[in-house]
Amino acid sequence: MTVLRAYISGMGIISALGTGISETADALQKERRGLRSLTLFPVASARPLPVGEIPGSLEPAEVPRTHQLAQIAGDQAMAGSRQPPDAVVMGVTTGGMLTTETSLKLKSQTPELLSYHGIGTVAEYIAGRYRCKGPVVTVSTACSSGTVAVKIALELLRAGLARRVLAGGVDSLCRLTYYGFNSLQLIDPDGARPLDQSRRGMSVAEGAAMLLVADRPGGATAEILGAGLSCDAYHPTAPHPRGKGALAAMQAAIEDAKISITDIDYVNLHGTGTRDNDLSEAEAINALFPHQKPRLSSVKGAFGHALAAAGAMEAVVAAISVSRHLVPATAGCRSPDPDLNLKPELKPRDQTVDCVLSNSFGFGGNNAALIVTGPDRFKPSSSPTRTRPLGILGYACITGAGDTESTLHHVSEGKACRGLLPLEKISENIPPRAVRRLKRLPRLTLSLALAAHQNSGRTESPNAVFMGTGWGAQSETYDFLTGLFESEERFPSPTDFVGSVHNAPAGQVALQFRCTGANITTSGGDYSFEQALMTAQLLAKDIDDSFFLIGADESHAVLSNMFDPSVSASTTLSDGGAAFCLKQADPGAPLTIRLNFFENAQQNTDVIASLTRRLGGPEKINSAYGALLIGIPGCRRTEGEKQLAAFLSRSGFENPVIDYRKIIGEFASASAAAAAMAAGFLLKGKLPLPLDNDRGRQLNPPGVLVVGLGKYVTAMEILAN
Amino acid sequence: MENLLNELKAKIVAVLNLTDVDPEAIKEDEQLIGGNLDIDSIDVLEMVIMIEKDYGVKIDNRELGAKVFSTLRTLAEYIDENSRESTL
Repeated sequence: MTVLRAYISGMGIISALGTGISETADALQKERRGLRSLTLFPVASARPLPVGEIPGSLEPAEVPRTHQLAQIAGDQAMAGSRQPPDAVVMGVTTGGMLTTETSLKLKSQTPELLSYHGIGTVAEYIAGRYRCKGPVVTVSTACSSGTVAVKIALELLRAGLARRVLAGGVDSLCRLTYYGFNSLQLIDPDGARPLDQSRRGMSVAEGAAMLLVADRPGGATAEILGAGLSCDAYHPTAPHPRGKGALAAMQAAIEDAKISITDIDYVNLHGTGTRDNDLSEAEAINALFPHQKPRLSSVKGAFGHALAAAGAMEAVVAAISVSRHLVPATAGCRSPDPDLNLKPELKPRDQTVDCVLSNSFGFGGNNAALIVTGPDRFKPSSSPTRTRPLGILGYACITGAGDTESTLHHVSEGKACRGLLPLEKISENIPPRAVRRLKRLPRLTLSLALAAHQNSGRTESPNAVFMGTGWGAQSETYDFLTGLFESEERFPSPTDFVGSVHNAPAGQVALQFRCTGANITTSGGDYSFEQALMTAQLLAKDIDDSFFLIGADESHAVLSNMFDPSVSASTTLSDGGAAFCLKQADPGAPLTIRLNFFENAQQNTDVIASLTRRLGGPEKINSAYGALLIGIPGCRRTEGEKQLAAFLSRSGFENPVIDYRKIIGEFASASAAAAAMAAGFLLKGKLPLPLDNDRGRQLNPPGVLVVGLGKYVTAMEILAN
Repeated sequence: MENLLNELKAKIVAVLNLTDVDPEAIKEDEQLIGGNLDIDSIDVLEMVIMIEKDYGVKIDNRELGAKVFSTLRTLAEYIDENSRESTL
């Protein structure tokens, strides 16, 4: 049997402990701590809180700090690598937030910097810098983002979709997280002291770490042997008190790596220093290792907690550990809390380390665990796998016209579905207690999930959630920041902070349906839903039950116009999205969905030729699809229309071609709603008359291709079984 | 004290958006967190902000919060005691 290994063939890191692998290893060896009072932006308090801040200003000045950090770590990881990576996967939670906050605070708009607000722009910037033509994915699962990014990179390799993936995580300090975590009373005023008896919380930090994950060793220092994901489905912020989800993620990682618990030499704990996290993680560790525990430590008292970067930074720490035979100390911990029943390392220890388990847990109960080993020290865990089409058990959409039925009815009457559905209408199918803290995006998301599940007719709850959102919860973000600034930084709302994280809506779905499997939110502007579908396809092999695939975006009166150039160029504000209940290889599913193509169209002149080839050439395209649904974001009209003309000319496509944004409006996850419309057309067996020049033909062949054009070119097919 | 209790009931319903709860139905001596109202740790923190804003009383750590938010009455007593102190 062919085997496959995922080597870490390049690494880069920047944090409060220093820049580069050597400086970082040296700092860990010498027990340095990087926590100091915040200086990056002025704060109202006379005594700013301790944070993990990177000293000095960074380059280049024309991009926000997060992008600068990613570039510094990226350049190190790509040093000596002439070939571009085949894919870029990054964990990010706040993107250009620091710059956006300054604009909002000073009420000044700097459009060129606001164009970097979206969290997906960091990975796009990195992809552009290293000329990556392949897929670009941004994961936002709060504090586990960096680890989930590495998991996706591993699965891209396993699926044969890439041979070299640049993966990592990044976040810069910003007001949203500095004040947000403080509003949750989760900050230790004396700096994080993970696992210590007197610990009082975490320290927010910044940083970036990037790993070039490749299927060839090429001087590799470490190997990714496996990774596991889970969701607590317990509470929006608090971890499960018995560490149920943390345990499930660690067990999944061990199973994925095909090792046993006795192989693990060192556990790099999530260990934030909050009372709840450390207690919950300790419960899970005690359950996983009932007899002898491996060495244990948390490095968050040294780095601080760099949120989306943390998991990637700790993957680098794990690689340092196996390559330099070092178990780092639990900086800041003096007397370990006896309630934890753990013996964390209090001093750095030189010893042979072959296998590290690295934990990352985030808001929304999003857990990830990674197994990093020395190269070729264990049996290979992976064999090549193929992604398969996903069966559609149920679907639902929301547009300005209303729910699925109203949307399809509007289309059949030749009416547009642009606009905004009133909030009460969206929330109609949600229990009142479930919505009381939810603003527009989580309500859209929950409503879609409930409707798709109902449409499936199945009673069992789906197990996992994959969600794409271009802009995340804008209402919560805006309300948090304006509340902060209006109160002179005294009264930030904890509820808005919790709701502002990109993965909060998917977390609500997990809570509602008790989905304890993988829970991943992706975000890449107009291609966010396609990123979620790709992620779902990569991970579906490990999911026995049904799962949700969701794409949703809210329109916000101020922020949508500021951030999304397609929205500011349009006359009607629109929003909505769609949800699907999916299951791999379900014989009862009337339709299937599959992402066939995802390439970066920048610096990629062959992208349309590549698309045509991947779809099997003109004959195959004409014999598989009865219609094309084309998505061209308004701000990319000229480029998109050229791409469309090239595709139609190359494929000789003769069936109807529908420009769907003209019907449902401009919003980032419009492609999700288009995919739901395609499902509706296929179940009826024909296109609505107005979309077929009033001919009323059968949808023949019974397949629809939803193509995304512009900055990226994507294609997803929906086929009738 | 009676006035403060009634005022707090209305504020809790408004701040936590408990649209299906009649403020008068909140019982003064019933467990506030995790009881019938489904109030959790995030709600407590939202109330912390409201209490600091409206009464100038700080509840700035979780341990203190757990004691103060035990029932509506303990909360009212704490506000009463500390807002009076701060105005002296």
